Amino acid sequence: MQVALPVEIRPVLDNGIPAVMVTCSGNGVPNTTIISQVYYVDETHVALSFQFFSKTIRNVRENPRAYVLVTDVAGQVAWILQVEFQHSETEGPIFNAMDMQIEAIASATGMSGIFKLRGADIYRVLSVERLPYSKSPVS
Amino acid sequence: MADSFRRNGPPATEPPRDVGQSTGTSAWMQAHAEELARQTAELGRKTTEFEILQRVSSAITSTLDLEEIYDIALRTMDELFEFHHANILLVEPDGETLAVVASHGYENQAVGGRVRIGTGVIGIVAQRRKILHVSNMGQKRAYAAAQRQQMMKSGRGAELSDAVPVPGLASAESQIAIPLLIRGELIGVFSIESPVRRTFSEHDRGLVSIVANQIASAINNARLYEERARAANALQEANASLEARVADRTAALERELSVAQELLKDARSRVEGPLLGESPAVRALREAISRAAARVGPLLLVGPPGAGKEAVAHAVHDASRRRGAFIFVSCPELSTQVSHPGVDTSPAVRPERALLAEKLELAAGGTVFLDAVERLPLEFRYALHEILEAYETHSSDWTLVADVRVIASTTRDSRPDVETGRPGPLHRLLSTNQIDVPALADRRQDIAVLVDHFVRRQAMHLGKVIDDVSVESMRQLEAYAWPGNIRELRTVIERAILVSRGTVLEIDEELLDESPSVGSYRLVSRLGTGGMGEVWRARHRLLARPAAVKLIRHDVEHGPGHEDLVRRFQREARVTSGLRSPHTVQLYDFGVNDTGTFYYVMELLDGFDLQTIVTRFGPQPWERVIVFLRQACRSLAEAHAHELVHRDIKPANLFVTILGSEYDYLKVLDFGIVKDQPGHEATALSAGDVLQGTPAFMAPERMLGEGVIDGRSDIYSLACTAYWALTGQPVFQASSPAQMLIHHVQKRPAAPSTISELPISCDLESILMRCLEKDPAHRSPSALDLDRELASVRCEKPWTQQKARAWWEAHAPDVAVRNHR
Repeated sequence: MQVALPVEIRPVLDNGIPAVMVTCSGNGVPNTTIISQVYYVDETHVALSFQFFSKTIRNVRENPRAYVLVTDVAGQVAWILQVEFQHSETEGPIFNAMDMQIEAIASATGMSGIFKLRGADIYRVLSVERLPYSKSPVS
Repeated sequence: MADSFRRNGPPATEPPRDVGQSTGTSAWMQAHAEELARQTAELGRKTTEFEILQRVSSAITSTLDLEEIYDIALRTMDELFEFHHANILLVEPDGETLAVVASHGYENQAVGGRVRIGTGVIGIVAQRRKILHVSNMGQKRAYAAAQRQQMMKSGRGAELSDAVPVPGLASAESQIAIPLLIRGELIGVFSIESPVRRTFSEHDRGLVSIVANQIASAINNARLYEERARAANALQEANASLEARVADRTAALERELSVAQELLKDARSRVEGPLLGESPAVRALREAISRAAARVGPLLLVGPPGAGKEAVAHAVHDASRRRGAFIFVSCPELSTQVSHPGVDTSPAVRPERALLAEKLELAAGGTVFLDAVERLPLEFRYALHEILEAYETHSSDWTLVADVRVIASTTRDSRPDVETGRPGPLHRLLSTNQIDVPALADRRQDIAVLVDHFVRRQAMHLGKVIDDVSVESMRQLEAYAWPGNIRELRTVIERAILVSRGTVLEIDEELLDESPSVGSYRLVSRLGTGGMGEVWRARHRLLARPAAVKLIRHDVEHGPGHEDLVRRFQREARVTSGLRSPHTVQLYDFGVNDTGTFYYVMELLDGFDLQTIVTRFGPQPWERVIVFLRQACRSLAEAHAHELVHRDIKPANLFVTILGSEYDYLKVLDFGIVKDQPGHEATALSAGDVLQGTPAFMAPERMLGEGVIDGRSDIYSLACTAYWALTGQPVFQASSPAQMLIHHVQKRPAAPSTISELPISCDLESILMRCLEKDPAHRSPSALDLDRELASVRCEKPWTQQKARAWWEAHAPDVAVRNHR
């Protein structure tokens, strides 16, 4: 199962507030975290930045399915993406493009070497659901 | 701008068939119409983009002006993307930073701002050389800040570094930065920003890349053009500079040629004439020249000043048919050439020897003429002696002298050695062959021939017609003593022709004045004899100004210690000429006369020195002594300010005169043993050193050689002088100079008021006794301080100009009349 990302979600990926990612360990323990970048790869794939979320990464390696909530405050819209981890990249054009984004901010804020992209995790989009806007969607 | 058309695909080309025909057709038509409108809008947008790109391409390639290119680039980006804020940054020469060279849309001009490569959006783009669009920057910065705060809280603050400010919008939400590349090399970055979140499609990225490439090419072209223009300018300047240098060098060479021609003419004029005539003396001289020309060893020419020794040397050189040059060397001036850049002054080679060797090399195959060899500085005498010995011993110097004829001249027949009193070894070497050059007085019958020769030559030189010399003038010329010999004869003729008006030359009697002269001064009468010289009353040949001329006495000049005395004499002239106080004797001139006697000319003072005043008229009133002392203080203050210590202040060196309308005007004389201060001095009794000064007025520290000798030594001597003026007695009585020195070191002086019959101010006595302290630290610290202290002495009946005038009119009426007409 896989779906195409709608056109209107593209600006939300570019401009949305940091996204919320929900994962679940192999034995069913859920975990929620914030990720700085949801990168549009193509119509059916996104890349999520792997910086320092060791529990998230562990969960995804045990259970590849996850949910990502992206919110566009200006457009008053939120989307839930059901995704499935496929592989992780530590080089190549996708990794470089995401790394530049992070390093540009990190180097100017004194966070070089800390706020750093360790890998670009590629996910297949399984479903996309548009939600009514909520100020605190996670809660 | 979104390229949603391509994403969604074209609308279906046929209406749907599974819906009602009319409803379906209508819906299809509406969709088709909307799609058509969208495609039309898209086409319009692309047309606009194309037009903009075409315009920017045309504009940007039509100029090589960087500012214009920046302006076009910034306006185009604004027009295309409506970001409204843009910067162009170029890589700095250090290769590590970028500097903003143009900006658009910022409230405060961002030009000049700098970004380190690798920092911020722009820095990362420069580092990776790839386009970068960052949106939602506010959130991202906030997210980074939150992470940062969390790290601080968890104690990981040390891992963080300071935030780096970058030029641009602090509140930017979207930024796209494009590297400016030329053949893969980064030259800068183009950055545009927006305060609102913006998306940036692939199409936009392509578009912005096209514009950026054009901008990069245009900037590069303009910079290359600027560099080429700069290089062309530099080349032009270099050419101009080179041309100017060539012109300067040419002019300098022309000047040098002109000077050389003048010198040659002058040299010829000096050697022409002296050998003319048929007197027995000159015939003998010509024969001696022929004989000397056949030999190769050193030759000594002995004769009075101006007799034509250089002409004889030239004649020997010419008669010996030598092909090399005739090199003239003025021996007294050799020491000034030691630091000449061409002379090897390495420690291994003595500079004197190197200089002499250089002269000999110049004279290879010819003659070196050492003029006035008796005035050759001591250090050169040794070097010359070593070289000349090669003639006898064929030592290592033989190659130097083998092909050079050495001819020396002297005004004296023999020169006793300083140590032995016998002729020195150098003289012995030189005088193996000797020619005596006669004085003009010994060949008087040649005077007429010589006069005729000099008249013809000088008249031609000045463009005058002189047919003859008057009978009376010729009689005077033949009768004159000619102390200056042929040189003086030539000078007299030249001067006479210069002022002559007719075709018959008349010689002014003034030109034949037989009184001795130095420089431009005729010596009138001897005024006195000092420790190292004589002082003469003199008058300037042309000016009315009287003067005093000081000469080194002949017996001193040729005696032991000659070199030191000459140096001391020169120092006195140099030091005195540098002092400007009206209370220091003024120097007019300084030099060496034809016979090698040193002289200096100073103002002629009419009056008495303090020694004479006290000796002849008795001790002086203390009020007058204060007037004398204060003037002496002003002279000494200037000398001390130049770090010079007089070292011989005594009554005989304080001269009191009438200057214009001022009576009792005091001048300090005799800076002959002045010494740069501060300095240590050998003790009076140490071997090998001569203590200079007058024992009765000498400060104790000068005898002990302890501590620093400075102006306070002069203050002590001035106090001794004042003591003498007040009491008519020296500070201490002693039977010998040595005892006097010991008293100055050990004995406490009696207060002058206990000796003098005249009253003495307690204040003045107190000042003098303090200045007579053995320890310089207890005396007045400076001459200026002493002057101030003397000025503060209470005085009910000060010494006025009326009193001074009355004194001069009563005691020296002739001086008063001469000086106050």
